[in-house]
Amino acid sequence: MPNPNPEDKRQAAREVIDILHEISILLNTNLDRTELSLCVSLIENGVNPDALATVIKDLRKENGPTRIPSQAAAE
Amino acid sequence: MSTTKQPTRPRRIDDALSQLVDSLTPTLPLASVNYDNYSDEEEAIAAAESHRHDAQLDRAWRIIDTYPAAGSADPGSPAGLGGRRGSLAAMESVNNAPDLIKRKLRRENSSPDKAVRFSNLYSRLLTQPVLSQKWGILYLLYKLSEKDGVGAEGGERSRSPSMDDGNLQNMLGREGSRPRRGTHSRAFESEDEGPAVSSSASQKIPLSKPERPNSFVERESADYSARPSNREVDERAGAASPTMTPSSPQAHSKESVERGLLRDLPFNLQGLSSSNLQFQSASVLKLPQNLPSPIISLLHSLAEPCLLYKGLSEFCEGTNEGLIHQSLRAAISKEIHSYLGLVATLEAEIRQALAAIGDGTQSLGVRKSGVTLKRCMIWTRDATMALRLMSLIVEESRDKKGGQLISLIHGFSTSHGDPFVGAFAEKLLAHVTRPFYDMLQLWIYDGELSDPYKEFFVDEPEFRPSTDSRGIATSVWEHKYKLVDRLIPSIVTREFAEKVFLIGKSLNFIRTGCEDSAWVEAYSKEAFKELKYGDTDTLESSIDKAYKTTMARLIHLMDDKFKLFDHLRALKKYLLLGQGDFIALLMESLSSNLDRPANSQYRHTLTAQLEHAIRASNAQYDSADVLRRLDARMLELSHGEIGWDCFTLEYKIDAPVDVVITPWGSRQYLKVFNFLWRVKRVEFALGSTWRRCMTGARGVLGNVEDTLGADWKRARCVIAEMIHFVCQLQYYILFEVIESSWDQLQTEMSKTDCTLGDLIDAHNKYLNSITHKGLLGSTSTSRYGSSTSASAKQPEESFLTQLHQILKIMLAYKDAVDGLYSFSVAEFTRRQELIAKIETRTAQGHWGVTESDVRPRRANSRGGTSIASTPDIRPASAGVDGIDTPYSLDGPEMNDDQMLPTLRSRLRDLSAEFKSRLNILLGDLAYQPDVDMRFLGVVMNFNDVYEPVRRRKPASSSRDKEKEKERERAKRKAATAAASANTGSGTESSAPKEARRE
Repeated sequence: MPNPNPEDKRQAAREVIDILHEISILLNTNLDRTELSLCVSLIENGVNPDALATVIKDLRKENGPTRIPSQAAAE
Repeated sequence: MSTTKQPTRPRRIDDALSQLVDSLTPTLPLASVNYDNYSDEEEAIAAAESHRHDAQLDRAWRIIDTYPAAGSADPGSPAGLGGRRGSLAAMESVNNAPDLIKRKLRRENSSPDKAVRFSNLYSRLLTQPVLSQKWGILYLLYKLSEKDGVGAEGGERSRSPSMDDGNLQNMLGREGSRPRRGTHSRAFESEDEGPAVSSSASQKIPLSKPERPNSFVERESADYSARPSNREVDERAGAASPTMTPSSPQAHSKESVERGLLRDLPFNLQGLSSSNLQFQSASVLKLPQNLPSPIISLLHSLAEPCLLYKGLSEFCEGTNEGLIHQSLRAAISKEIHSYLGLVATLEAEIRQALAAIGDGTQSLGVRKSGVTLKRCMIWTRDATMALRLMSLIVEESRDKKGGQLISLIHGFSTSHGDPFVGAFAEKLLAHVTRPFYDMLQLWIYDGELSDPYKEFFVDEPEFRPSTDSRGIATSVWEHKYKLVDRLIPSIVTREFAEKVFLIGKSLNFIRTGCEDSAWVEAYSKEAFKELKYGDTDTLESSIDKAYKTTMARLIHLMDDKFKLFDHLRALKKYLLLGQGDFIALLMESLSSNLDRPANSQYRHTLTAQLEHAIRASNAQYDSADVLRRLDARMLELSHGEIGWDCFTLEYKIDAPVDVVITPWGSRQYLKVFNFLWRVKRVEFALGSTWRRCMTGARGVLGNVEDTLGADWKRARCVIAEMIHFVCQLQYYILFEVIESSWDQLQTEMSKTDCTLGDLIDAHNKYLNSITHKGLLGSTSTSRYGSSTSASAKQPEESFLTQLHQILKIMLAYKDAVDGLYSFSVAEFTRRQELIAKIETRTAQGHWGVTESDVRPRRANSRGGTSIASTPDIRPASAGVDGIDTPYSLDGPEMNDDQMLPTLRSRLRDLSAEFKSRLNILLGDLAYQPDVDMRFLGVVMNFNDVYEPVRRRKPASSSRDKEKEKERERAKRKAATAAASANTGSGTESSAPKEARRE
C-alpha cells in the first residue's frame, strides 16, 4: 500500500482506528483507542489475531482481580 | 528463553506488544509491592513493574509463538513468520470474522440495529486502503468480545426472547450487505492484488453457504475466478463447501443438467412438454429419474405452476354455460396472461444467463443476476399462489352457477386469512361480477330480466301454476317473477335482494300491467347509472332511489289511473252494504221477486231492479265507471232454492287492479256479501212482520184481543228479541268489523312509503279480518253436515252454521207469525160475518143464532181463502214427519179450534228453539279469543236474559250434529206447513211456496 503522503496516511489510519473503535464498542471489547491501535499494528505485522486475543485475555485475567481494586485505590 | 528468541522477533512487533502489555497492566498497588529489596519506594515499584512487565511480555510471546501467523498469505509480512502454517480451520474462522461478528450481534440483540450498524462500519472499513489484515483485526475484536459477551448475553437475551434470525438473515443477506460486499471486494481486486483475492474468496464462501447451497453455477464461477490467483484459495473453498468437494467431478454434469432444465423451464411453465419434463396427462408431469434429490424437490415445486397452468388454460378454452362462468373464464385468462408475461421475463433472464455462461466469460452480470432453478421457483412463487387459488375456484365452481359462484369468490375475498388470497379474489370478483351487475342494471332500470342462463336471483318461471294452494288465480304481480334464494350472491344482503326484486317487478308491472312503458323508458334514461363491484355506496343509494321512485310511481298509477282506492271504496259500499239506502231500496224492490224459486229469476229483471235502486238512491252520484262494474246475478246454486239464496251482487274488477283485489279477494267479498244479504233479508222480513203487527193491532187484531191477545203478545216479544239479535249482529259486522278493518286499511294505504306489495298485504289482511271476525271464516259454508270433519271444523265455521240456523228459525217464526195473523184475520172476518148475520137476522126480526148459522160460515170461510188449493200433498208429508204439525189437521174436517193450538205450539217450539240456539251461540262467543267477538256476545246478552251454554266436547258433536240435522229437517217441514196452513190470509210469503210445490 504505497502512499506518498504521510499526512494522508495518518489521516487514513485515524479513520480506520475510528471505525475499528466503534466496532469494538459495539462488540463490547473494553479496548481503548491506544490498545486498539497497538493491536492493529501487531496484526498488521503478522501476529496471529487468535494468539493476540489469547494474550489480551490472558493479561486481563492476570490483572483482572487486581485491576478493579487498583482503580478504586486510584480514585 | 525470551532472550534467545528476542532477536528473531521483529522489532515492531516487540515494541507494540510491550506497549500493549503496559497499557493492559495497571499500576501495581502499593500494598502488593515488596519493599525489602529497594530503598526507594518509587524504585521498588518501577522494579516490580518492569519485572512483571517482562514476565507478562514473555508469556505473551510464548502464546503468540504457539499460534501460526495470521497473515501467512500476506506478502507484506516478514518471511520468518510465513513459514509456520496453522490449521486451515483456524484460517477459516479468521477469514469469517465479519460474518461471525454479524451473527453474534444478531444473536445477542433483538433489533437488527447493531448488526446493521456493523455492516455499515464494515463497509466503510473495506473502503480504507490502510489495513491489509482487516479480517484479523475483526477476528481479534470478535474474540475479545466473546468473553464479555457471556456476561452481556444473559441480559440481552432476556430482553429479546423473540428474535427472528431468519428475517434478519434475509434483510441483511439479501438487501444490505451482499451486493455491497461484492462491489467492494471487486474494487479491492482491481486495486490490490494480494489480499484482495483471499478476501474475495473468503467472503464468497460464507455468503453462498446460507443463501443458496445449490447455486452451483454461481459457486463454480466464483471458484474459477479465484483459482488462477492462488492455490490456497481453492483449497479453502473446497474445505468450506464439503458438499462440493466430493462431487466435484459431477459438478459439471449437474451444472449442465440444471442448465438444460433452466432452458426448458419456460416451456414447461407454459404447459408444454420438454425433453426432461413431460406431461403424461393433464395432471401428471414426469420428472427425470437420475437427478439429485435437491433438484428433484425444486422441480417438484416448479411442477406445480406448470400443471396448474395447464389445467387453467384448458378451463379457459372450455365453453361452459353461464355468463358468470364466462366472465370467470375471462378473468382467469387475463390472470393467465400476466402469468405468461412473467414466464416471458423469466425466459429472457434465463437466456441471458445461459448465454453468459455459455460464453465462458465470467462477466460480473452473470454472477450478479445468476438464474438458478431455485431462483426461478422464488420468482414464480406468487404466481403459483395465484394459479393455485384460481384452480381451486375453478374446481369448486363446477356445479355452481350465477350467484353461488359469486358467493364462492366473495367468500375467498372476505373470509380468507391470507391477505394475498383476499386481494386476489377481490380482483377476480371485479371481473366476475360484471355480468351480474349488467343484469342488475337492466333489472332495476328497465324492469327487464335478461338472464339466458338463469343466473340472476330473479327467476321467471316458465311453468306458471294456474292456481296456487289457496285457490288464488295467478296474477302478474305474484307469479310472474320469483326470488331465488340460493342464487342471491353474498355480496348483497337479503333485504337488498328483496328490494331489487321489488323494483324490477314493479317496473315490469308498470310496463306490462299498467301499459306505461313510456314512463319506464324515461325513468331508465334519467336514472341510469353504471353499477359495478366495490362501489357499495353508489349501489345502495341508487337502489334506494330507484326503489322509492318506482314505488311512488306505481302507487300513483294505481291510485290515479286505475282508481284502486275508488274501487275499494265501492266494494265496501255495495258489497259490504255500506250504502244503506241503496241496499234497502234494492231489497224492497227485489223482495217480491226473490221469494220465487231460483230458476224463475231472470237476469234482466234483476238488473232492472238494480238500475232502479241505483237511480233512486244516493248511489246515482257515484262515478259511472264504478256503477258500470256493479252487476246483479244469480249464483249457480242447487235446484230448489228460492231467489233469496241465490241472488248476489257483483263488482267486476279488471286487469291491473286485480293484482290487489285478486279473484280470491273477490270471492271473499262475495261471501261476506251473501252473509250480510241474508242477515239483511231476515231483518227486512222481521221488520215487515213487525209493521204489520203494529198496524194490525190498531184494526183487525184489536177485535180478536179476547181470544188471541196473549198469543200476539208472546209473538211480539219473540219478534222483538229476534230483531234485537239481528240488529246487534248487523251492528257488529258493519261497525265493529268492517269499519275498523277499513280504517286500518286506510292507514296502511296512506303511508308514504307504501309499496304495491304492502297494498296487497294490507288488503288481504283487511279481507281476512272481515271474514274471520264477521263469523264467516275462510272455509266455505257447504261443508256443513259432513260429520267426518266435525271435530276439525273451525269454530268460525260452526258459528256460521249456527247463525244460519238461527236465521232460518227466524224466518220460520216469521212465517208462523204470518200464519197467526192470517188466522186472526180469518177470525176477524168470521166475527164480522156473524155480526152481520145477527144484524140481518135482527133486521128480519129473528133473534139469536142457531146451529145452522155456523156451518155455512165454515164453508164460506174455506171457500173464500186459498187453503183449498193444495189439500192433497200435505197429509202425506205430515205422515212422514209424525209430528203434530198443522198439516195433519189441514183436512176437510179441520176447524178453527184445532188450528189455533197447532199455531200456538209451533210458535212456542220455534221460540224455544231460537232461545236454545242463541244460548249455545252465546256460550261459544263467550270463549272466543277475539275481544270483538266476545263483545258481540255481551252486547246481545246485555241484561243476562239468556243463559249461555257451554258446548259439548267435539267427541259428541257429530252425534249432536245429526240431531241438529234431524231437528232442522223437522223444523223446516213445520215452517212450510205453518206457512201453508195460513195461506188463507193471502200473505206474500205464501206465494213462492206454492209455486215451488207446483
